[in-house]
Parts: sequence; structure tokens; C-alpha cells
Amino acid sequence: MKDKLKTCVEWLRSKGVDYADCRLVRRETESLRVTDAHVDSMSRDLDVGVGMRVLSRGAWGFAATASLSMAELKKTANKALQIARASAMTTSEPVVMAEQEAYVDSYTTPFKTDPFEVAADRKITLLLEASEVLKKPKKIKTVEASMDFYRTHKLFVSTEGAQIEQDIMESGAGYNAVSFDGKEAQRRSYPNSFGGDFATSGYEFIEGMELVENAERVREEAIALLKAAPCPDTKTTIIIAGPQMALQVHESCGHPIELDRVLGTEISLAGGSFLTIDKLNKLKYGSDIVNITADATTPGGLGTFGFDDEGVKAQRTPIVKDGRFVGYLTSRETAPVIGQRSNGTMRADGWNRLPIIRMTNINLEPGTWKLDDLIADTPNGIFFDLNKSWSIDDKRLNFQFGAECAWEIKKGKLGQMLKNPVYTGITPEFWNSCDAVCDDKHWHVWGVPNCGKGEPMQSAHVAHGTSPARFQNVKVGVSK
Amino acid sequence: MIGQKKLTERLERVLGQSKADQTEIVYVGNESGLTRYANSYIHQNVFESNNRILFRSVLGKRIGVASTNSLALPDLRKTLADSIEIARQRPENPEFPGLPKPARYKDVDTFDDKTAAFTPRDRAKAVKQVITAAKRKKFTVAGSFATGSSEIAVLNSLGVRAYQPLTSASISMIAMSDDSSGYASSTARRVDDIDVASLTGVAVEKCDRSRNPREVEPGEYEVILEPAAISEMLEWLNYVGLGSKPFLQKTSFLAGKIGRKITSDKITLYDNGLDSRSNAFPFDFEGVPKRKVVFVDKGVARGVVYDRAAALKAKKKSTGHALTPDESSEGAFGLNIFMAPGKTPKAKMISAVKRGILITRFHYINGLIDPRNSVLTGMTRDGTFLIENGEIVSGIKNLRFTDSFTRAFKSTIAVSKETERIESWWSAVGCMTVPTVHLGSFKFSGKTEF
Repeated sequence: MKDKLKTCVEWLRSKGVDYADCRLVRRETESLRVTDAHVDSMSRDLDVGVGMRVLSRGAWGFAATASLSMAELKKTANKALQIARASAMTTSEPVVMAEQEAYVDSYTTPFKTDPFEVAADRKITLLLEASEVLKKPKKIKTVEASMDFYRTHKLFVSTEGAQIEQDIMESGAGYNAVSFDGKEAQRRSYPNSFGGDFATSGYEFIEGMELVENAERVREEAIALLKAAPCPDTKTTIIIAGPQMALQVHESCGHPIELDRVLGTEISLAGGSFLTIDKLNKLKYGSDIVNITADATTPGGLGTFGFDDEGVKAQRTPIVKDGRFVGYLTSRETAPVIGQRSNGTMRADGWNRLPIIRMTNINLEPGTWKLDDLIADTPNGIFFDLNKSWSIDDKRLNFQFGAECAWEIKKGKLGQMLKNPVYTGITPEFWNSCDAVCDDKHWHVWGVPNCGKGEPMQSAHVAHGTSPARFQNVKVGVSK
Repeated sequence: MIGQKKLTERLERVLGQSKADQTEIVYVGNESGLTRYANSYIHQNVFESNNRILFRSVLGKRIGVASTNSLALPDLRKTLADSIEIARQRPENPEFPGLPKPARYKDVDTFDDKTAAFTPRDRAKAVKQVITAAKRKKFTVAGSFATGSSEIAVLNSLGVRAYQPLTSASISMIAMSDDSSGYASSTARRVDDIDVASLTGVAVEKCDRSRNPREVEPGEYEVILEPAAISEMLEWLNYVGLGSKPFLQKTSFLAGKIGRKITSDKITLYDNGLDSRSNAFPFDFEGVPKRKVVFVDKGVARGVVYDRAAALKAKKKSTGHALTPDESSEGAFGLNIFMAPGKTPKAKMISAVKRGILITRFHYINGLIDPRNSVLTGMTRDGTFLIENGEIVSGIKNLRFTDSFTRAFKSTIAVSKETERIESWWSAVGCMTVPTVHLGSFKFSGKTEF
């Protein structure tokens, strides 16, 4: 296949293009869905094709085909070229790409057990076992459990001489229980909502999740939520648990630091960003203890890889340092606007999508607190756990996030459970109110397999390393 | 485009070789292009040619699903074998109703030659028209213009043979000044049904009228919700409430309320995949003919959509709303949602508002806060206006709403007689067809800085 891609790249070079790359992606997926303690669906998918990106006369074209025949690949190369020429009809400033070393290299996710080689029976048994514990009482209306595995092979070839092969393995699992008392329904999930937790890892990640061990607690919390008090409308101190912090980082930091969004090229779908270029190295994004890093090398992170989809090596980039906003996620096209080289965040959702700037592992660096000490240090407040709803404005300023479950904090101790908890804020005000972040013993990298962006829609696999953190004077309980 | 004869022949060759008790093949193929523009130039311009072939093999009540995007016969045979092997490996699903029997499908016109042949250059010319018109007002524009063709086929070993070629075209645009923006969009089966010049006029006018936005405080207001805003609310309500899964799980706002009044009697909501005012599509991904399903009839809750598995569980019949077999655990889904028009001309709606807010569209709605009470939250975007004494007096800075759909729509004052077709998450096989709605009470819970 490498020779076929090189032939396409050479043909495009002979047509005088400014730049071109060809990317083969072969992705295998396995999904297991268990509903109410029986196997609802079990499926495998194989998706193979080639995408070609051409820069000609200063404008971009992209074409992709599922056919791997040389004739079809050449046709696709020509299509990408013609599309670039059509794009040039509206271009006033030609695209300039940052300099980049042309790597000839490879990368493979380290893992112990290939999940595609694990017997179906073993996976099913694990999900059924957890489901049986969850489903026991009558008040549990529905139980859903799932596992997903992805094995992706990528081959990247460019007119600059890059030849990069990557093999990425991803695994994830989780479950949720819906309780119902005739009037109200509540949901509780583990280890995270919306499909659970994911990592670049093998089946050992699933075995370490303690799915069965946590089922009873999750079940009882789902039932307890039915009788929980409603979240009050107030301004108070809040402590946010790790998985909900991942969502907080994702929406209020991860998206607004995407430089394509900042420059206006995502406005048509998901909006722009308040983190405009004039704020770089100047804005006090958060309090002094807030440190956020974009790290595509975090071991096991779902946003971990060797090279991005324009051949730039995975990197670790400071985003917020001691509270100050210091960095963006960039590409070869956008980085020169701020006088930099790409920090390697261009990824595509498969062969048939154009690479765009995506989050990698956007991590809130650990602080110094133990969670028990932090709760003990909080006279009054609310502890928020696991995300349930999310909404933020089109510049990523006004956000409102809901959690599955919360607990009152009274005199330094967790008190009664609260249902339908919601908190809201304005991004920089909120992060500047952060006065405590828990330490590395509480720190976990939460995999998010469904980050949406772009047109046509692309779903990216990203992650967030977080630990619980405390924020002051936050508005909560606005759902009425 | 492969064409019905060639495609069906190829798939039947593989279907005939299956050793399973029952076998189903779902084919989804597309050739689609999308031109994306921002800062008044084309920055992304893409074309894709792809197939997806899904096999569902049944051994007793054991079901295996495997899929590929290769139409090569050896790959199809291997995928069929994989689906049978998966079925062997898993336990029985006692709730599996079996595959459907053959049915007749309504003849629906879903294909347009000109749309299928529309080129990147054609799209670029249209985008240039948008850019040029906005430039006259010194506005920049951002948006996308997508055109494409698809083929969808469902075959099974019981004799189902469903095939439908489709085209679709969708455009969206945002005109922007330093302190304002205006939005317009449209979707259709035929690209000629999209009036680019008129849409550009709407986006530019909204941008112009919303300059120097005022700030208004959150609270309870009368509102006029334009079709894009209604569509965004209905997308979430569909996800959390109108399908079989949330209804059976009791998390839907319709669960336990069938036959009860939940909104004003001016509100009727239904799904109809056979109505050509939508991006119609005559069968679902099990090959079951689509039926019209009424969710809310003149304010009274009536029901939800079903696929065969959910229908068996609920002791109902499938309404023809199954998703592809790999997504079957998500339950049935309405793809052609309508809010029925009313009797009020849209042009007269603003004049009926003493003090209120006109909303063009929403951003980032979420409906998972309290789905049983249909609570939604989201931000206004791209054209939010203050109305006083029956006239738009200024643009306003964007607001966050948090409100229950059923509570707010109990206060419906008027529904426009005109409807618009709005692109949805599943535009190739459906869309939203919705009017403008005037509500007496809508709750805003927060504001932002622009």
C-alpha cells in the first residue's frame, strides 16, 4: 500500500501542487451492549480507505475513497486537486504551512492483552456479572453495560518525504442503572457517564476497572437519588470530582484553546473562542494554582499517539501556567499566525475525514490536597460527581453543567445526597475562583471517545487527566 | 451510484450463501461533498465516496452483527462469516422478534440528477455569491454547503428487498460584524430548492439589525422562536423523549403521560417519513415501511416510535423507525419530525408581542438535566432581538435559557402557518419541518458577554 500512496503523492507533485499527503486508515471496531442482563448487541466493523489532502494555488482540497485500487486512488488524487482549484476561487491569502521535519518513523500503543483476541465469552461474562448485581432490586428499571475496542492502523505519506506508520489500540467499558419509583427516574453510572472510561490500552485496562466490585454501590446510589433532596438554588463553594472535572476542562479549556476555532474557522458549527490571540501570555485564565497541559504523550491517555495526521510528532505543551494562559493547540496552517511551529494536534476521524485541530490529553495538573482534607476544610458547600448535562455558549464563556449526583458538605463532612444538581459560571471567573486541586493520588486520565467537531461531523478520542478541585462562590441549582 | 440492479445482484449473491437461520444485509453508500467557508473564503472542501455493508445473522435467538466498507465479494463473504461466528459466540436474546417479512413501500421521490451531479465548482460559485453579498455590508461570512447522493438497501432471507436512491443539499450561513451576527439555513432533496440569494439576505439583515446589542437581564419573557430554534429543541426532545428507549426506560417526558394534556392545544408533534415536505424516506433500516406516528396531538401525549424489538417489548407494532443493526441498542428513532403549522402568518407574529425576545437559533442545547420533565438548557445565538410594542427595537446580547419544554409550550400564543425544512443530525434520511412559535412565557437563567 505504501507504494500506491507514494505513487499518488508523486503524481500530485508532478502537477505542481504546493503540498499533498495521503493517509490510509484501517480501523477495526468491536462493540458489546448488554441491556437488562442480556446481550443486546455484539458487533464488529472493519473500515478501510484512503484520504488525500492537496494544497494547490494556496487553497485546500480533500478527497477520500474506500477503494484501494490504483485506478481509483489516482482518480481520488485528481479529485482532491480539482477541489483545491475550486477552493482557490475564493482565496485572497494563500495558505502558508509551518516548517516541519519529514519523519520516517513508526509508533505502536503499548499494551499487554489484545482485546480482539480475548474470547467473547470472557467479555460477556464480565458485563453480565456487573449487570446482575445492578438489576437485582425492583426499583432498578434498566441496566445498560458496554465495552468498545478500536484497533487502528495508519499510514501517512507526504510530498515532503514523510512516511509514518502507527498502530493504536483503544479499550473502554462502563455501565449505568436507571432507577424508577413510578414518578421519577434517576441514572447512576460507573466509572463515568456516557459509555464509561477509555484508554489507549489493551484488555488489561478493562480488568483493572473493578466493574463488578462497584456495581452494588452504584445501584444503591441510583435508588437513593429517587428520594434525594433537590439541589438548592444558591451561591456556594463546590468541590468537583475527577470525572466531572474532565468535562469542565474539556468544555471550558480544551475547546477554546483550539487555534482553528480561535481564528474563526469553526464558527459555522460549534462557534468561536473567547481566548483570542491578544490574550496569549496575558490573560489570567485561572488562579495561581491552575496548571493545564496539552500532552499527547500521557501514558494510556485516549488522546495519546505518536504523530498527528499531518506528520507532526506528539508533544507536551503548557496551556495554562500558574493561572496564566500561555498556549494553544495548533496545526501547521494555524501555528505561523502566532509565530510558532505546530504542536501536533491535527487528527481526523478516519480516512474519510479531513484532519482538524483536536484535543489530545488536556490535563489539569495535580495539586497538593488529599480529598478527605479538602472536604474537611470546606465548612459549607456541594460535592458534584459524574457529568449528566453540558452546555456552553459559542465563545466558551457561559457554561451550565449538570451532574448525576451531588452531596451537601456541612461542617467539613459530606451530608445528604442532592438530585439534579447543576452549576453555572463564566469561564475565567470560575477558574480564578479555584483554590484547591487534589494531588496525584487522586489524579486519573479520563478517556472521552465522543468529542464532536467539524463538518462533516467528526468524533475524536481525547482525554483529560484530572483530580477533584474546589471552586468558590459558584452559582448552583438553576434547573427550575 | 452503483444502481439498484447491480447492487442488489451483488448483495443477493452473498445473502444466498448464508448458513444462518435468518440473514439481513443493510447497505448504505454515499458520494458526498461539503464546502466549508469562514472569514469569507473556502477553508475546507471535501469529497467522500464510501459504502457500509452490515450483516445481521440469526441463529435461533442469537444475533451477530458485522460490517465492512468493502464491496469486494471476498470481503462481503468474510463479513457474513464473521456475523455468524459472533452469533455463535453469544447467548440468546429472548427479546429478539426475528427479521421482518416482505412489505410494500410507498413510492417517494427522493432523487434529483442535478443534485447528484453538483460539483465542487458549483458549490464554490454559490459560496462566492454569499461572500460577495455580505461584503457589500462589510460583513464576513462563515458556513457550509453540502451536496451528495446516497443509496440505501435492505435485503433479508425472508424476502425483504428495499432500495432507495437519495440526494440531499444543505446550506448554512452566518453573516458577522464586529458585534453582531445573523444566521440562515436550508435543506432539500433538490439543490434547486435552496434559494441561496434569499437566505443570504436573511443572514445579512439579521446581522445588520442586531448591531450595537443591548444587554437584557435574565428572567421570564414572551418569545418568538424561529424554525431553527424550534428544530434545535426538538432534536434534543427526540433524543430524550420521542424514541422507544427513553419511553420504555421511563426517562421520557411522555412516559406515564399518554392521553394527558402536556402542552397547549396549538402544539401537534409527529414523525412522517412519507411526507415530501420533509427529506422523506420510505422504510427503516430493518426494511419495515415507515408509518406516521403522532407524539403530541393538539397538546395531548399520544405515543413514540418503535422498531421491531421495542415493539415486541411494548406489545405494539413496529412503526418503521429502526436504526442500523449495530445501533439497535439505541432503540427506535424519529428521523422526519414535524411540528404542525398553525394559522398565524409569520409576518404578523412580531406585531402581537408587547415586550419579548425573538430568537433565531440556539447553541449547544442539552436535554439531560431532567428529561422526565423535558428540561432543556441552551444559549441564544446569531440573531437575538428585543421586541417592544410589536416591533423589533434592537439586537440583544445572548442569553441562556433553562426551561421545561412542556411548561413553556403550555403558554403557546400562536404557531405560524409557514414551516421551514431544517437540517438535522441525520440529513440524508430526514430533517425537521417546523413553524415559528410565539410563547407567552420562556425562562432565561443567565447571560453572557456578547
